[in-house]
Amino acid sequence: MKISRAWLLKKYLDKQSLEDDLGNGSDAERLADDFTFHAFEVEGYTDDLLDVKVLPNRAADCLSHRGLAKELSAIRGIPLKRDPLREPVPSFPRANALTVEIEDPTKCPRYISAVVKGVTVGPSPSWLREALEAVGQRSINNVVDATNYVMLDIGQPLHAFDAAKLAGKEGRYAIGVRGATKGEKFTTLSGEEYALPEGALLITDAQRNLPIGIAGIKGGKAAEVTEATTDLVIESANFDGPSIRRTAQALALFTEASTRFQNKPSPGLAAYGMRDVLALITDITGGEVIGVVDEYPAPAPAYPPVRVSLARINGLLGRRLEGMAPVTDVFSRRFGFYCVAAGETIIVTPPFERTDLAIPEDLVEEVGRILGYDSIPSVELPPMGEPDQARFRGIERMKDQLIEQGFTEVSTQSFAPKGDVMLANPLDKTKSMLRTSLEDGLADALTKAREYAPLVLPPNAKPKLFEVGSVFPKEGEYLELRMTETAWKGVPAHDNLSKAKLEDYGKDYEPKRYKLGMYKPFSQYPFIVRDVACWVPADTDEASVGELIRKHAGDLAVRLDRFDTFEKEGRTSYAFRLVFQSFERTLTDDEVNAIMEKVYAALKEKGYEIR
Amino acid sequence: MSDTPPVPEGRLHPVTLALRDFADIFGRMGFGVAYGPELETEWYNFDALNIAPDHPSRDMWDTFWIKDPERGRPPSGGSNDSVKTAPGEERKLLRTHTSPVQIRALEKHGAPIRIIAPGKVFRNEATDATHEAQFYQLEGLAVGEGITLAHLKGTLDRFVREYFDASAKLRFRPSYFPFTEPSVEVDMWFPAQGKWLEVMGAGMVHPKVLENAKVDPAKYQGFAFGAGIERLMMIKYGVPDARLFHSGDIRFVYGFDEKPL
Repeated sequence: MKISRAWLLKKYLDKQSLEDDLGNGSDAERLADDFTFHAFEVEGYTDDLLDVKVLPNRAADCLSHRGLAKELSAIRGIPLKRDPLREPVPSFPRANALTVEIEDPTKCPRYISAVVKGVTVGPSPSWLREALEAVGQRSINNVVDATNYVMLDIGQPLHAFDAAKLAGKEGRYAIGVRGATKGEKFTTLSGEEYALPEGALLITDAQRNLPIGIAGIKGGKAAEVTEATTDLVIESANFDGPSIRRTAQALALFTEASTRFQNKPSPGLAAYGMRDVLALITDITGGEVIGVVDEYPAPAPAYPPVRVSLARINGLLGRRLEGMAPVTDVFSRRFGFYCVAAGETIIVTPPFERTDLAIPEDLVEEVGRILGYDSIPSVELPPMGEPDQARFRGIERMKDQLIEQGFTEVSTQSFAPKGDVMLANPLDKTKSMLRTSLEDGLADALTKAREYAPLVLPPNAKPKLFEVGSVFPKEGEYLELRMTETAWKGVPAHDNLSKAKLEDYGKDYEPKRYKLGMYKPFSQYPFIVRDVACWVPADTDEASVGELIRKHAGDLAVRLDRFDTFEKEGRTSYAFRLVFQSFERTLTDDEVNAIMEKVYAALKEKGYEIR
Repeated sequence: MSDTPPVPEGRLHPVTLALRDFADIFGRMGFGVAYGPELETEWYNFDALNIAPDHPSRDMWDTFWIKDPERGRPPSGGSNDSVKTAPGEERKLLRTHTSPVQIRALEKHGAPIRIIAPGKVFRNEATDATHEAQFYQLEGLAVGEGITLAHLKGTLDRFVREYFDASAKLRFRPSYFPFTEPSVEVDMWFPAQGKWLEVMGAGMVHPKVLENAKVDPAKYQGFAFGAGIERLMMIKYGVPDARLFHSGDIRFVYGFDEKPL
């Protein structure tokens, strides 16, 4: 959620109080830190704009300037200048000009609809345009902007239809809320046509049974507000989160509205949304509210109070709050919740918008984060008996045995072109199965390993690989150990470790440990191999010959191995292998030959004979 | 007489060495090592962990679903129709995290328990230098009487000091996971990089999760954490690309100087 600091300060938070509060500031950096360490991570900010990563359990109330201002108010312990959700909802004239029919109230618990007449659609006043633009929204016209502003302000998605495009009957409009029929199509405001999944919730002009909006997601072309619009039908509703989410997923159409509805905001919020949008629209468009219909067949019961004890708070957080005072301070003063303290227990009645507070542990989290996790001490666990790592050690013992035999462990991908288990939604359609064995992955790895062997292995070693990994044949998943060749005569090159008695094999084994250095990237360019052998006097040290070769081979020689030596008639022959590679380019044979000439010259100069 | 050097020992994959480091460090704090299947059921991967169907929190995990060969049709538009099963039959998926091992271990051993569960997990998301569709996670779970968030801090403090650097530091930030309450994001100050790095998610095990695993939440409580193993290793060893780990490329395995301890 992108929020504007100017919006917060203008409407909700007193700049003076923010700055007076213990030397804290009102600048974006300070606000970002407050959010990050007490509520939600701020992904980025500028002087005015903060991008707050509202967590899923708080999307019902915090995808709004009001919700995030409330968080800051609780974190800093300063009151909101005003809180629209604590101000009364006025009663509106009942609309005779409008009816609302909801087919299935479980899909649409509440639908408030208002008729506003005599509006002049035009550009928004500059404060409104600037407020929207500050958070990256495009100003469209005063009516659409008003609905967007109220949504960004308090979190209730809203929509305005052009009343003249609905079929009035004896001066009455009829709004319907129903599921889409099989094969039904819909054209959105932006002109895209969608084939709707059966049952997707639609808003209709009920007189003609004509869809005018995909409920909770996007409005339609059929009743679009334009410059010519004079009369409006305005929607402030609550839709079932899972249904909205399913439809948005099926259509791959996620909007500001669907993001909010799928997180189940309280149906209570719809009334505040309607109150604010009507106030704003009548103010800036000159229209007049004719009437409002609030279809709310089964009003949601108030959330039950949640009770938590000081012992539970301390017992879960592992900190020692002395007495109830800091707890009461968090819930009563900072959040302004209705609380009753009974000894060392507090009973908190969450306000309607806080759909996330349901169990004692939810309250523990509020105390933990508002007071700050930095004040939680760091305590080691008490000792416990010998842990069971036998199976792990059994697997690791197998690996250590193979390493001793010169095998190298690799890790390959679990997806394969062939198999018994198929993915419904593969990332790569050519690898849409799960491997039934490690065989193919290892064979590919071996082909590559043979190609790269001179870079990593001495000349006399040929690559031998193994892998331990889960495989998925139709008989069921198991852990396979597979080698590219057998390690011991008569022992198969693969094993089902899920059947092996690994616990017995491993229980007393200490896996070998190694310390690794920093990772050294490899070059993507081809390498060139050259061998050189020479006769040296018998007492010549191998290392000094290697040293000489390395010196004259230069930095492009990335590997030097002595792979053979023998003595004859008082002389020693050393054979070395050099591997040349550049990080910047493909080396040419000519270039490497020139280097080798230098090496030969240096060896000859020492009196060594090149073989 | 010819003398060729002996064929040297092979190499273990760096993830194997990391798992040995983790098993050692957590083993000395009383943690066993537990395992679970990679091909999981929807119950263990989501429902038992308090992640309701059709809840937006499921979007936190992009899931590979398994196609039912009998009833399956190719999926379209993000719909899961093709993996629907008959009533009473569970939908299958590739586990998106190692957290299902929490449930399996609690069901098998009950409380008190301390385990780490390393293993491969799968996310259906586009791959790049920091995202792989297949990677390893390190799950941790400690459930007992009186285990607190302070113990989580103490345990992870010791882990980062031993695995990364004696002067590594941790901080907790608020977060949300359906299976922990409270939930925290864990950042580490790693002196070698001189900045705070996000290293794992953690929290106090949600009472519903304990209930689902038939453990009495009135008697037992505890913490859980989950870290991306490749991410930890990328930080520690400066590995630039997550895709190197499971490429089957021996140049990666040999890309580190190795000293026996």
